[in-house]
Amino acid sequence: MTHFVVGLFGDPESALSAAGSIQGADLGTPELMSPVPIEGVEEVLGEKKSVIKRFSLFGAIVGGVSGFLLAAITAVLYAHPVGGRPIITFPPYLIITYELTILFGIVFTVIGFFVSARLPNGLWTSFWKQDENRPYVPEAAVDKFAVSIGCEVDDVQRAETILREAGAEAIRDGTEEVS
Amino acid sequence: MQGDANPLKYTDIHNDVVASIVETGSNYYVALATALALTLICFFFPWFYQLYYGIGAAGMNHPGVWGTYLASFIFWIGLSHSGTLLSCVLHITNSSWRKAMYRSAEAMTLFSLVVAAMMVMVHVGRPWFIHWTIPYPNQMEMWPNFRSPLLFDVMAITTYITGSTVFIYMGSIPDFAAVRDRTRGWRNTMYSLLSLGWRGTDTEWHRLHWAYTFLAVLIIPLAVSVHSIVSWDFAMSIVPALHQTIFAPYFVVGAIYSGTAGIVTVMFVLRKFMDFGEYITELHFDNLGKLLLVLSLLWSYINLVEVFTGFYSGASGEIEALRYRLFGFYAPLYWEMITFCAVLPLLCAFKRFRTSFVPMLFLSIAINIGMYTERFLIVATSLSRQYLPDAWGLYVPSAVEISILVGTLALFTTLFLLFVKIFPSVSMYEVKETMDTPKKIPAAASGGSLA
Repeated sequence: MTHFVVGLFGDPESALSAAGSIQGADLGTPELMSPVPIEGVEEVLGEKKSVIKRFSLFGAIVGGVSGFLLAAITAVLYAHPVGGRPIITFPPYLIITYELTILFGIVFTVIGFFVSARLPNGLWTSFWKQDENRPYVPEAAVDKFAVSIGCEVDDVQRAETILREAGAEAIRDGTEEVS
Repeated sequence: MQGDANPLKYTDIHNDVVASIVETGSNYYVALATALALTLICFFFPWFYQLYYGIGAAGMNHPGVWGTYLASFIFWIGLSHSGTLLSCVLHITNSSWRKAMYRSAEAMTLFSLVVAAMMVMVHVGRPWFIHWTIPYPNQMEMWPNFRSPLLFDVMAITTYITGSTVFIYMGSIPDFAAVRDRTRGWRNTMYSLLSLGWRGTDTEWHRLHWAYTFLAVLIIPLAVSVHSIVSWDFAMSIVPALHQTIFAPYFVVGAIYSGTAGIVTVMFVLRKFMDFGEYITELHFDNLGKLLLVLSLLWSYINLVEVFTGFYSGASGEIEALRYRLFGFYAPLYWEMITFCAVLPLLCAFKRFRTSFVPMLFLSIAINIGMYTERFLIVATSLSRQYLPDAWGLYVPSAVEISILVGTLALFTTLFLLFVKIFPSVSMYEVKETMDTPKKIPAAASGGSLA
């Protein structure tokens, strides 16, 4: 069973340093929680890649194709000849294409965000009751910086020691404070 | 950007913003009740009256078949422009002064779009047929005309409302989570739902940054397209003074101009009545003033070009429409517009003026009065002077139209007042980014654990 140890820090540098030490001690990849994005996370924990751009591109392509086909197929099915002009007229249909490209791009970007950030979580069951596999400290939304690591029971003591040595102001086990 | 020598701490902004949501004084309720009452009396009752007695209750009739409803539609669409657009541009260019004000500016966009959409429903007379504008299979085999700018409008505004809603919501998720932890009861349930279980992990911040940036990139051209398309509603009609190629940039510049002035008004209100004086500072008014100056010069230039091309065309219809606008029945409105939108904003050349809150408020209101007048003149003077003299006529708004015009302001105010009690009106996490990050306290001075 995985136990979560959370160290609470007063400044981002100490939290980053603790995260680096945890990773260096082969305890796994820690998770940082903070009130603002921390600069330099990728230098310590490695580069992050996201699939959001692929979602955006896919959405934009689907939207563009759908927009043009919507206008063109409608024009063919319900033909309305005007003065011998072509039934499928590109200039105005490009505007429909453009708008739906953006619309679908936006919608798919949001879907990509939810998928890659694994949101929503813990929501539908309990209106935010603590999910044991996703420790959370409310202070990390205000002015504290938390480092969380999931490890085996044998490694808990070692993780706590590393966090303490890095300057943790408090150590918590999931939601319960142990020291 | 960090290290802007902001003396405030993370907890200050946190406490101030949470207090702005959960602590409500009696003045707020008075303001909300007044706005709501005005919305009902000035907007909904006259609208229902018009629905009952027919569109004849409005002053629109041949040749002035477009009136204040459409002018209001253009005005509110325009006002919506600077919020999300400015926010996106400043986000991409990494301008830190955006951070204290963008949330409310984006809300302004959203509610302006809602009011604009309402104006379309008021204008069409029979809003229960509004679904006819949406392409869907039906038994009448009646599909919208995809070559019409009116359908472009439906597509563009739907996309813009969706984009603006998503943009303000995504940017608010971390703040919803922060407020969630400080509230109880129904508020806690609401913010738990809205925050989607956000914990502020490094992965979540990374994903939010990219998603937010992609959205900004998508929304900037969208915003430009929306008001270009609104301009084509008029420019594609073969009416003197409307059938002009300059209309798209004219409308876009006017929209950003009016929206920026709207932001100044909203910032003043937030600063004065929501106690955000420490976050919305002279710097914001200074920068917005510079922007207003540039936009006013651009707007003046386009107006000058419009007058010159009308004069230089040599076409009698065009020249008559121009003469009528400058010296005809509506001329006082034209020169009021020039005074408010081209002359007064020149005061923004002086830093002392830009950093004075009350004068900036009056200027921003004057600009938007001028910009509403501009939209009114576009629809009223053009249709009053078409090619054939026997089709000339005057348009004067009826009491119902004037009441609904006042009601739109009340409707917008009501929505905004509700917003400030639901959304954190200042972005907590982005303002924190402008502050100095907490520094490591030496062990001897730290005084033990947090517990």
